Amino acid sequence: MPMKIFKTETEDKLTINRIMHARSYSLLLDRKRCIGCDICNIVCPREAIDIEKPAKIEGEKLTPPRINVDENKCQFCGICNTICPFGALALEINDERTIPVLRTESFPQIIHEIEVDTSKCPTDCRECEEICPFDLIKISVDEEKNGVNVDVETDHCPCCRLCEVKCPHDAIHTRKIIFGSIAIKSEKCPGGCSDCVDVCPIPGVLYLSADGKVHVNEFPCIYCGVCKIVCPAEGALEMQRTSVHHTPVHSGAWNKALEKLCSTEGMAKELRSRLIVKAQESVRRRLGKEVP
Amino acid sequence: MAEEPRIGVFVCHCGLNIAGVIDIEALTEYAKTLPNVVYAVHNRYTCSDPGQEEIRKGIDEHGLNRVIVAACSPRMHEFTFRRCVSEAGLNPFLFEMANIRELCSWCHPSNPEEATEKAKEIVKMAVAKARLLQPLMPIQVPVTDKALVLGGGIAGMNAALEMAEMGFKVYLVEKKESIGGHMAQLDKTFPTLDCSICIEGPKMVDVSRHPNVEIISFADLLSVEGYVGNFRVKVRKNPRYIIDDNCTGCGECKDVCPIEYPNEWDMNMGVRRTISVPFDQAVPLIYRINMDYCIECYKCVDACGDRQAIDFSQEPEEIELEVGTIVAATGYDIYLPPEGNLYGYGKYSNVITSLEFERLILAAGPTGGHVIRASDGNRPRTVALIQCVGSRDLNIHEYCSGFCCMYTLKHTIQLKEHYGDDVEVYVFYIDMRSNFKGYEEFYQRALEMGVNFIRGRVSEIIEDPKTENLVIRAEDTLLGEPIEVEVELAVLATAAVSSEDAGEVAKILNITRGTDGFFMESHPKLKPIDTPVDGIFIAGACQGPKDIPYSVSQGAGAAARAATILSKPSWEIEPIVSVIDPDKCRNVKAKCGICASKCPYGAIRVEPGKPAEVIAATCHGCGTCVAECPSDAITQMHFTDAQIFAQIDAALGESAEKKILGFLCNWCSYAGADLAGTSRFEYPPTLRAIRVMCSGRVDRDFVLEAFRRGAGMVLVGACHLPYDCHYISGNWRMKERMEALAKVLEKLGISPERFRVEYVSAAEGVKFASVIKEMSEEMKELGRERIIAENEKVKPYLDRMMARKRPKQVAVAQIRT
Repeated sequence: MPMKIFKTETEDKLTINRIMHARSYSLLLDRKRCIGCDICNIVCPREAIDIEKPAKIEGEKLTPPRINVDENKCQFCGICNTICPFGALALEINDERTIPVLRTESFPQIIHEIEVDTSKCPTDCRECEEICPFDLIKISVDEEKNGVNVDVETDHCPCCRLCEVKCPHDAIHTRKIIFGSIAIKSEKCPGGCSDCVDVCPIPGVLYLSADGKVHVNEFPCIYCGVCKIVCPAEGALEMQRTSVHHTPVHSGAWNKALEKLCSTEGMAKELRSRLIVKAQESVRRRLGKEVP
Repeated sequence: MAEEPRIGVFVCHCGLNIAGVIDIEALTEYAKTLPNVVYAVHNRYTCSDPGQEEIRKGIDEHGLNRVIVAACSPRMHEFTFRRCVSEAGLNPFLFEMANIRELCSWCHPSNPEEATEKAKEIVKMAVAKARLLQPLMPIQVPVTDKALVLGGGIAGMNAALEMAEMGFKVYLVEKKESIGGHMAQLDKTFPTLDCSICIEGPKMVDVSRHPNVEIISFADLLSVEGYVGNFRVKVRKNPRYIIDDNCTGCGECKDVCPIEYPNEWDMNMGVRRTISVPFDQAVPLIYRINMDYCIECYKCVDACGDRQAIDFSQEPEEIELEVGTIVAATGYDIYLPPEGNLYGYGKYSNVITSLEFERLILAAGPTGGHVIRASDGNRPRTVALIQCVGSRDLNIHEYCSGFCCMYTLKHTIQLKEHYGDDVEVYVFYIDMRSNFKGYEEFYQRALEMGVNFIRGRVSEIIEDPKTENLVIRAEDTLLGEPIEVEVELAVLATAAVSSEDAGEVAKILNITRGTDGFFMESHPKLKPIDTPVDGIFIAGACQGPKDIPYSVSQGAGAAARAATILSKPSWEIEPIVSVIDPDKCRNVKAKCGICASKCPYGAIRVEPGKPAEVIAATCHGCGTCVAECPSDAITQMHFTDAQIFAQIDAALGESAEKKILGFLCNWCSYAGADLAGTSRFEYPPTLRAIRVMCSGRVDRDFVLEAFRRGAGMVLVGACHLPYDCHYISGNWRMKERMEALAKVLEKLGISPERFRVEYVSAAEGVKFASVIKEMSEEMKELGRERIIAENEKVKPYLDRMMARKRPKQVAVAQIRT
């Protein structure tokens, strides 16, 4: 049977399929989870992903940008899978979830670091469950241990840290996935425009102030970059990513991806820090003792 | 050459081929009456030994210094008789042939009287030219004793090995990463059921190890320049991003590569890694990185380690090879039914082609040797094999692909051997073509194993949407009833077609393709390996679909043909070249250089203030420069203006208004005319043909002279545009020239239908016959009176125009090499 490559689109899902006689590939994009940030677009080695800016309709809230994948270019490497902070993409080979670039350590996994110390949780507290903007936390009462189970869908959590901040009992520890900086130049912000506020997935990061301009509360910002995509005023919104929290890896592909996501300096910094760690290790081995 | 011409005419019966239509006696007697003819005889078979002996005797006893044989086409036996004549001590270029078979007796069988009259005029034309022939000495060129084989399949490899064993250096250029061709994709070969790669693998290794063979793989052919014995070939080596010498073929890099992409070698049913070899027995065993897919993670570099074989900075490399001969063995492609085909290929998951089946049943294939359905991964319990998909089909390809019946039998036997009674096999065929050694016995074997053969062409395949089984609809012609069979897997035996880049290769090598797309041989019976281009040979499936033993034989045959050239220190080139008269060349006084700009081969050297000069060894003898020169300063040896004017004169002596004077180019239109005769397509005997090497040779003055002498119609026959001209662009020059001339003729008052330019290829006998028929009809419709009237009106103008042209006999100029 000759190879078939096709794309299927529904309201909630975009599926790319490559069906061969004895091997099938599918890439699924969950549109409910995708916020249109285009991080996948930036790192895709085949430039197979496209982003469509939303059309502005007067008086209505702006819809998020729409991702489109070119089925003829996708090589089913799985890089978009691992890099998406929201876990919106799923790759399957022969109906089994797998990510080829992870198998060969050609790409790192981003670390969704969320730890909940349930021993500190009173059974009636639902603060984190209620604050999570993506409904990823489910609290269930565990009769047996007389406490609660806090189940977090870590794969889809972009680590905005709102739950950590909201928790009154200091039970949650999180860490950002992407580090960076974001600032709005008020003089360039057009005022009366709420495009970035409309598309930002985390409530409270961007907000319209009394002066009609947008201001930013940087703490929960995940540096996804959706605001930058839709901002109509050039130079008004500056967002820079500086580093990514990921599993250790030694890969030219990741170096390139990091450079594209952050900046050349960001990549250089990471390479240097890796070098320092390596140097420390080799001295340690040589001297046979700890090096401060 | 002040000697008086003493012409001998030898008329051939050719058994009944000529004698059956033409009155040989009358023709011979007529020949005797022609001026300068001192001897005329007829013979049953002039090309036979006694016939040739007669010619030699005639030359000796009668002091002949010009010989004419009135028989078949010069494309048939000119070489034979030239040799015969030179053995008798006469210069071979003092010989001329009068084609009274292909262009006369064979195409006018119902018209013996008119055919005889036409034959008389053909002989008269030959005599007119012969009177003006000059002796010519062949040009010797050195021969590079190296060969190029294009294509590393089973035919190409054999050609390379044979030539290498003979002691010649061979460059084997293969466009894919590995040699082996389609045979390496097969599981088993018929009828011995040898494992294909087991017999081919050692051969591939032999080729790679042979000290005289240099394999240049993953390389494309860019250009070929030069001529026999001296070809300059440019090849581009595509980058593998691997350093050939450092790669040990260990494969550790592929194990750590994350990306896989569809493997063309597996018919896109399996995958290969970004760094990989196409299959495990590839020769040369050098890996390759496909940069379209590489994410540059450098895991392969790590795995390769100290060998340091990976080099991402590699660039394509252009190399130039100097060879004496070229063997093209570029193979074939498989026909894939296009979208919307009635067999559901591409739509239904369980319809596959035979090459896909071959990859399934192969142990090293994507399914490990298990024949499974794409829809559910299960083994099929019923399989249908369908013959003649795309072959023997008036809508797609009319020809029979030759090996499909045999490989289908092989597939049925393989299925039965693997799965025994667990599988029911049906073959839908039109005929079972098993016509070589062991093939019929192979068919019997399949019958004995319980394979069901249904004689009937499948009209369509329908899928059961639930089970994805296939319903085959055909007519069982032996029972005379329609039949429907439900099977779980359908295998289509698709046609073998000419390879995708055959057109590109043909253009670069300047060889022609037949109507079916495969390369055309010089003669389908006697010269199946030669091409009309000296020094270039074809072998294997690129000449036409064939099985492995046939391809192997042709490979060896091509090696022998090539060795004929390579084994000589020098090769003779026909001296039918152009020569420039320095006294007449315009470039001396005013800047000209038109000849150099029109020459398709760049064979003319022009320097300001000096007369232009032809580089004889590069001149291919098209004659385009002769027709283009505004000062008539160029002559083509053996096809001089004087000779052609003499032929025009002789042709239009009587009743010129009833005749079509045709100028036909040797390689296409004249060959097409020959083919019309060979195929016995009848047409009216109105044509008087003058053979030129290229339509580019046809001067405006020839056409004007023809009308001045009162011709009814004038035809210029050429090779098809844009690429078929044997001399690359001669036909384009002719087209420009004749389009301008047509306007002039119309202004002068000649009806436009009386002057035609037609493009007829060597394969278009039918077209040629119909062109002459059409023109004869039009001539009849115009009517004799009107034609004579137009001619009379035009004659005074043409007389004035031609007055300046008084072709003088050109002394044999010194041909400078």
